[in-house]
Amino acid sequence: MSRILTMARAGREALDWEMERRDEIFVLGEDVYNFGGIFGTADGFGAKYGPERVINTPISETGFIGMAAGAAMAGMHPVIDLAYIDFIGVCYNVLLNTASKTHYMSAGQVKVPMTLMIGTGGGYNNAAQHSQCLHATVAHIPGVKVVYPSNAYDAKGMMHSALRDPNFVIYLTHKGTAGVGWMGTPLKTTLSEVPEEPYTVPFGKIAITREGSDITLIGLGMSVHECLKAADELAKDGISAQVVDLRSLAPLDRDGIFAAVKKTGRMIVTDEDYLSYGVSGEVIASVVERDPTVLRAAPVRICTPDIPIPFARSMEQAILPLAAKIADAARKMVK
Amino acid sequence: MTEVRVPLDLWAEDDKTGSIVVWLYPDGAAVKEGALIAEILVEKTTLELYAPASGTLQINVEPEVVIDKGQLVATIV
Repeated sequence: MSRILTMARAGREALDWEMERRDEIFVLGEDVYNFGGIFGTADGFGAKYGPERVINTPISETGFIGMAAGAAMAGMHPVIDLAYIDFIGVCYNVLLNTASKTHYMSAGQVKVPMTLMIGTGGGYNNAAQHSQCLHATVAHIPGVKVVYPSNAYDAKGMMHSALRDPNFVIYLTHKGTAGVGWMGTPLKTTLSEVPEEPYTVPFGKIAITREGSDITLIGLGMSVHECLKAADELAKDGISAQVVDLRSLAPLDRDGIFAAVKKTGRMIVTDEDYLSYGVSGEVIASVVERDPTVLRAAPVRICTPDIPIPFARSMEQAILPLAAKIADAARKMVK
Repeated sequence: MTEVRVPLDLWAEDDKTGSIVVWLYPDGAAVKEGALIAEILVEKTTLELYAPASGTLQINVEPEVVIDKGQLVATIV
């Protein structure tokens, strides 16, 4: 039996493997050298690779993201640990106009091989400025790839793919799925048997995480795990739910989504990001633009409402797209 | 049979306890000497526990239970 790894350890194993063999890769971010990153992305790397390849930055995202993009254009492969996606605002000009556009603007002459690791999401009472998902906000930028593994097997394979990509990749991990100790015991469905040898998981392909025939539950990041819990509940009522993990937002596997929904004729899209202007609407559009007649019922979204994430546990739990809400919506739709 | 105990020098402070975050192998799995078998959390730091022998892992302590330095957490038979 292979080892069972957490997502944090699996992603780190891929980064370590590539760093051992490629001098152009270096890691930078807040607390990466001494502490290995708040979500364990570079645990132990400071001692192994030294301060020139594992660079502690000040709290100055605007500066170090720009520095990273420049280094990438000059032939390095920076790997940035941004910790919380809530800080994306101060990186945005580089993301929006430099890292994502230079390849196109230079007619392909200048590549920007850069991997930006970001933690997303809430559910652990960290309040409105440390709990957001905001993945739609980055997936909206043309010229950037955005991937979102939700289990350890994909975390390792997608990290290898990101580090071998010739251009800019944003690699998202929901903090609650990472499996770092201080966040509590890892969710079982995030743990996978992970081969020791390197392998890649291609971008732009959904995964059918659970087979089912009555209804399709679509999620990403943490909401995949809420869908799996909901599917367990629904099975007790005799409802067979298929669970889809989007895995990649840009490129988005519209063909895969359409085929999965066509199979059951019913879809619920779950997303811990805000409801409006988000991934959930995009996923539904991918189906109904192509052929609305495959749906036997109007599609439903279970997402976080458009309000600041509350700090109080009771209030935060009430707004998150948790399994009970998903299962309730599914029962209504199948009835 | 080899006992798997939390090494006395895994963390410095005697007044602090830890807990298993995750076992990297299930109960009954074959493990090799020197393999990383568990993560242990002490405050916000994740520490590593290695197999002291090769054999079949028998887990005694599940995640989230308070453990102390020197405590028996598994055996390898």
